[in-house]
Amino acid sequence: MTSVASGENPRPEGVPAVDFDLRSQNGLAESNAAWAELRKHGPVAWSDDNGGAWIVSGYNAVTEGFRNWRALQSGRAVRTIPGPGGSPDLNPLNAVPTRTTGLLIPEELDPPLWKPYRQVFNELLSPKKVEQALYPRVRYWVTKCLDDVIESGQCDIVETLTSGVPAAVILEWLGFPEEDWHRLSAAFHNMASYIPGTPNADHYMSELDWAFDRIEAEVAAVRENPRDDVTSYLSNVEVNGERTSYEFAKGMLNLAVSGGVDTTTSVASSAIVHLSRHPELRQRLIDEPELIDSAIEEFLRVYPPARTHGRTVVEDTELAGFKLRKNDRVILSEVSANYDETAFPDADKFIVDRFPNRHLAFGMGNHRCPGSHIGRAMFKEMLTQVLERMPDFKVNEEELEEYPNCAALGGWSKAPITFTPGKRRL
Amino acid sequence: MKIIVNAELCQGHARCLAEGPDIYVLDDVGYNSTSIDNVPPHLHEQARRGALACPEQAITIVED
Repeated sequence: MTSVASGENPRPEGVPAVDFDLRSQNGLAESNAAWAELRKHGPVAWSDDNGGAWIVSGYNAVTEGFRNWRALQSGRAVRTIPGPGGSPDLNPLNAVPTRTTGLLIPEELDPPLWKPYRQVFNELLSPKKVEQALYPRVRYWVTKCLDDVIESGQCDIVETLTSGVPAAVILEWLGFPEEDWHRLSAAFHNMASYIPGTPNADHYMSELDWAFDRIEAEVAAVRENPRDDVTSYLSNVEVNGERTSYEFAKGMLNLAVSGGVDTTTSVASSAIVHLSRHPELRQRLIDEPELIDSAIEEFLRVYPPARTHGRTVVEDTELAGFKLRKNDRVILSEVSANYDETAFPDADKFIVDRFPNRHLAFGMGNHRCPGSHIGRAMFKEMLTQVLERMPDFKVNEEELEEYPNCAALGGWSKAPITFTPGKRRL
Repeated sequence: MKIIVNAELCQGHARCLAEGPDIYVLDDVGYNSTSIDNVPPHLHEQARRGALACPEQAITIVED
């Protein structure tokens, strides 16, 4: 992997220079408003914040950026000027560079090495695999998680369902023992909380450290003594004729865990809060269940879990007519693209049967989320059972809690609800 | 009607199959590399919707 120096280039000439500190975006409304304001300057701007970066907010420019894998590298880069959190590393996840996170494979790879590792994930999470092997477990866990609270008439729907289900489905599939699931999923669920300056940042940072260490311990164990599970498969898989390296084995497990446990949570929580606030839409989905698939796409557009990704320019290139220079840092915004009026008429409105809906919730280009099929399956089953089993749920607005910062990942930390009690199914 | 798939642009979103389950064909890992020469008339609408749904705009419909 290249070690690219970044942050050395001065502000480019002839480009709108804006004040756009992603770290200050606290709360969904504030963040969305900041992106809307930015789009007024055009699809591409430059911000001196956090060491200087191109900020790409227009739909066409963002998709162009994701497709230009040759010049816009996903591989880890090293800043010459450390970010505000002291970290020298840049990777696709830290639009807000704060700390060094565990390596993510194949997210941090570029072609050609990217290809065989990507194929591993494509095979594991293909639409066929999801339908045949994974869906029964999705159904089981949704049913069970709701069974646990259905008679009580109240719960935190995030803890109970939207966080619990992806954690159970993915960590069971990987083969992690059940006693680890809660702590592992909480570590990633609270990842937005470790940003320096937020309350208890140190605690959340150490929980994240624990999570990466726990994953590493599992990888080491199964490379010694393989079991019959996906963690063992990933940790020992042959790529280009050789067993994968220890570093890359860890990287694949890091991605499998972190990519899965909080992203689906985010959009499912957002959908449930949205439906509590729009009971007429909720009733429509109950009356016309054939609308659920397109509602899911619209929830994904309006509440994309992964809101931005970073890239490092490795060769001079053009983007939307602007000249990007080697070593420049680029922030591509999926969330801003999703709200771009030039791509989505009435972008601020939730339109349940919007079509076409070519949103970027799962990204674009070669790093399109390999978990998109299992993510949609989990989201759909959660939504379907909530509408069937607790159709009158009401969110307690006073106790709703947002992530402290949603520059990279948006969502609800807590969403307490009440509902008419129902019956267990299992 | 023809469906022309640019396999190099396909990134396996599988939105074509979601809109056109009776006409689009994906490989084992959910990517599309199958162009189709003669789309039966009763599947024309599925074909159009599948092409429109593709986020990578990898599908072209050639109308008769």
